[in-house]
Amino acid sequence: MPTGEILQGTLDLMVLRTLQTMGPQHGFGLAKRIEQISEGALSLNQGTLYPALLRLEQRAWIRSAWGVSEANRKAKFYELTRAGRRQVEREAEGWARTVDLMRRFLEPAK
Amino acid sequence: MSALGRLWASLRPRRLDRELDAEIANHLAMQEAEFRARGMSAREAHGAALREFGGVTQMVESYRERRGLPWLETAWSDVRYALRGLRQNKAFTAAAIVSLALGIGANTAIFTLVRALMLRSLPVSHPEELVTLYRTGAWGRGYGSYPWYLEVARRTDLFQGVIARSGVEKVRVAGDRVETVQQELVFGNYFRVLGIGPAIGRLIGEDDNRKPHAHPVAVLSYDYWQRRFGGDPEALGRKITVDEQPLTIIGVAARGFGGVEVDARPDLWIPAMQHEGEIMAPGAHWAWILARRRPGVSRAQIQAAVDVQFQQYLNTVYGANPVKAFRKIAMAQHVEAREGGVGLSSLREQFGTSLRVLMAAVGLVLLASCANVANLLLARGAARRREISLRVSLGATRGRLMAQALIESGLLAAAGAAAGVALAYWGTGEILTFLPDPIVVQPDGAVLAFTAAITALAAILFGLGPAAQAVSIDPAAGLRSGAGASAPRSGMRRALVVAQVAFSVVLVVLAGLFGHSMAQLHAVALGFRADTVIGFSLEFPNSWNAAQRTAARDRLLADLAPIPGVSAVSFGFPGPFLHGTSKGTVRVVGAENAAPGGDAWVNLHQAGAGYLTTIGGHLRQGREFGAMDTSNSQRVAVVNEAFLRRYLPQERHPLDRSITLDKDPMAIVGVVEDMAHEGVRVKPAPTVYLPAVQLNNPYEPTIVARGAIAPEALIAVIRREAGKLGTEVAVSEPKPIRQEVDESLFQDRLLAAVGAFFGMVALALAAVGLYGVVAYGTARRAREIGIRMALGARRGAVVWMVLRDALILVAAGLAIGLPVSYVAARQVVSLLFGLKPADAVAFGVTTAALGLAGVAAALVPARRAAGLEPVSVLRTE
Repeated sequence: MPTGEILQGTLDLMVLRTLQTMGPQHGFGLAKRIEQISEGALSLNQGTLYPALLRLEQRAWIRSAWGVSEANRKAKFYELTRAGRRQVEREAEGWARTVDLMRRFLEPAK
Repeated sequence: MSALGRLWASLRPRRLDRELDAEIANHLAMQEAEFRARGMSAREAHGAALREFGGVTQMVESYRERRGLPWLETAWSDVRYALRGLRQNKAFTAAAIVSLALGIGANTAIFTLVRALMLRSLPVSHPEELVTLYRTGAWGRGYGSYPWYLEVARRTDLFQGVIARSGVEKVRVAGDRVETVQQELVFGNYFRVLGIGPAIGRLIGEDDNRKPHAHPVAVLSYDYWQRRFGGDPEALGRKITVDEQPLTIIGVAARGFGGVEVDARPDLWIPAMQHEGEIMAPGAHWAWILARRRPGVSRAQIQAAVDVQFQQYLNTVYGANPVKAFRKIAMAQHVEAREGGVGLSSLREQFGTSLRVLMAAVGLVLLASCANVANLLLARGAARRREISLRVSLGATRGRLMAQALIESGLLAAAGAAAGVALAYWGTGEILTFLPDPIVVQPDGAVLAFTAAITALAAILFGLGPAAQAVSIDPAAGLRSGAGASAPRSGMRRALVVAQVAFSVVLVVLAGLFGHSMAQLHAVALGFRADTVIGFSLEFPNSWNAAQRTAARDRLLADLAPIPGVSAVSFGFPGPFLHGTSKGTVRVVGAENAAPGGDAWVNLHQAGAGYLTTIGGHLRQGREFGAMDTSNSQRVAVVNEAFLRRYLPQERHPLDRSITLDKDPMAIVGVVEDMAHEGVRVKPAPTVYLPAVQLNNPYEPTIVARGAIAPEALIAVIRREAGKLGTEVAVSEPKPIRQEVDESLFQDRLLAAVGAFFGMVALALAAVGLYGVVAYGTARRAREIGIRMALGARRGAVVWMVLRDALILVAAGLAIGLPVSYVAARQVVSLLFGLKPADAVAFGVTTAALGLAGVAAALVPARRAAGLEPVSVLRTE
């Protein structure tokens, strides 16, 4: 997998997990944070974040409300719902299992 | 955001677009600010921010797509497609909508009545706990006596509380203007047991109903308080005069509470002990008993326990009565524990069975109209095979075709429902005009829900088959053939037509039964002249003595008699038609053996001079009462023919006989033909007429007047003359006896009228269905017919071929419908008069009507087939 490309569905989990650790965030803040955590390994078109946010909202994993940003701007803030929190846990566990499994396959045979 | 949110989103895209634009602008501004902080110029920062963001337009597009409901847009285009199709084929659309409107409208109309009369709970606490103890047998129905109420009230093991209340009755309230209002006499626990509180003041309690005539208080209904006192709280403590009794207003009942009857709402509640009459006598059946059962006690348990108790009670009251006939009737009474939470309704008692029959009938009408529409859809589907085949070959999926077909059905059903609701509004109004007492009927949420449910059901019923057929089309075959010769056989359509015929057979049989029954009722000899006789009653102030009452009555008679247009005027008690009965025992001198114990159990009527001829009775022998009969002359009686048949069967000279009443001998001076005093359905009982003048019992008389002028004019004259008696005397509405007869037959007239209407509708639908299928079959077989004719078949044979096709369908429908009708007829037999379920007239008429419908439906296609030119048919193929 070439670096920087994003696997289908992983962006959702990144967003949810970021909201879980950081609390309510606006779109720009989320984009910054995701780039920051991936340490530049992920080149995200920031715009793609918004359809993802809509999708998550439609599944009732997050909710949004207009608020005021730190720079005193009006901005739409996203927040994890209870269902979203459960979803993070479920997916995180799934990912952990997948990673563990793949590692076993890919580690040099003993 | 749920599916609903998405729907919402697709309904207000602009606002959401603005929000998204603002969000993007914010994002870019924040990014720019960050870049500026790192030292970029404003222009550089702007460009960089856009690059970081990626394609804005693309993102907005995919965002919008995600936001809306793609299927909604597809569905909308399908709706437009269906509407276009329906508009193109106006005749089909109109036929389908009319058909559905009839089915849905009929159901909505009848359900509105069912809901109002049978399903609406009283606005009291826990209505489901209420039971009413309904008395059957002997005198009247439903009401019980005070001693019996006391017996029931002791059963605290079964009930939390037991109420006795009178029926709602009219009383006069004095004031600036005298008005007639409705009162209900209640015991002290009435409001407590029902769980009703006051709006203001207090309600009648136990202490307000302890001693006879000692509690002159009244509680107003909220509506009456508003109407008479404009909702003025000062009404408390004021006095109102109800039937000459001054009563103090102590309170107003909670808003919305209108008593426990469905058919009548009281304006006033008055302690039962205030009543003038003998309410505590065992023979006074005035108390309707309503009880709140204990939790865990079932209605069946109550029924069993209370009926046993009632038998014991009857035994103590009547067990020792010396008159055997009386004892037998008195002891044959029972109590039924009925559901009380839906309110008491004498209309429901009378009308319930009819309503259930009507509900079932309109169910059939709906099925018949669904079958009809399904048939129309199939016919149109066959005509559109090419179009559909083309669409399938161009890539329309079966799912999409199915969805389109169902959307079309849904649209038809919705249009049918809209027209049906309008029809129902009219129909309910029409039906209500048949009812003797107006009831309040308002369609509510439950009625709307019912209509929505049957509409959806109808859409599925008539839409699914045709939809399935539309998607099963083989596009290759459909495109190759035209709509003509090699179109498929129409098995489903034929089956539907047979079903339609069967439905209409049942409806026509029912219509025939009710119509025939009505005719039988009309043929009953009433024994009096209903058309020209007007009757009304007088009600005198309680303080008047017998002489005052007699004087007032005779003054009115003397005023009426000389008026031109009044042919005859007299009075009687109880009155000519359904004014009640008065029963008693007489002994027939010298023929005591004919009656058990010598006591002849008869109806007793009081009559004024010329009463029998005034109402148009036919004297068979002797004379009736006249001026020669006075309180001092020889005591006399007139008997009816039923009396002779029962008690003097062999007597050829009844005028030589005499009877005794309370040991007073009376000579029989006349014999009159039987009269239907107790209703058209009731066989006249042995009856003795006695001259009122020799009884001197100041009953409240029914005045009867026969006119040579139009009833309306006679009524106006009567009103004018009766008005001269003053406001103290209450005069009931003068009515032609014919009107009372008609009102007593309201159910029969209603069933006959509604039945005939639905029967005609069903017959018309069946004929249309038959025509469609036969015409289609004939068109399909045009080639075959052409060949036959070319080979020398005669036109008559061709006509017969087409006719036979229709008659086979009718015969199949009859074969299914007639046995079902017989089962249905057995269910309604209690509503019929003098008919057996297997009524030859109804079944014969039905068979003939359906046969005629078949012939009528086949006529046009048959003529068309017979007119075919073999050469031209064969050439077009």
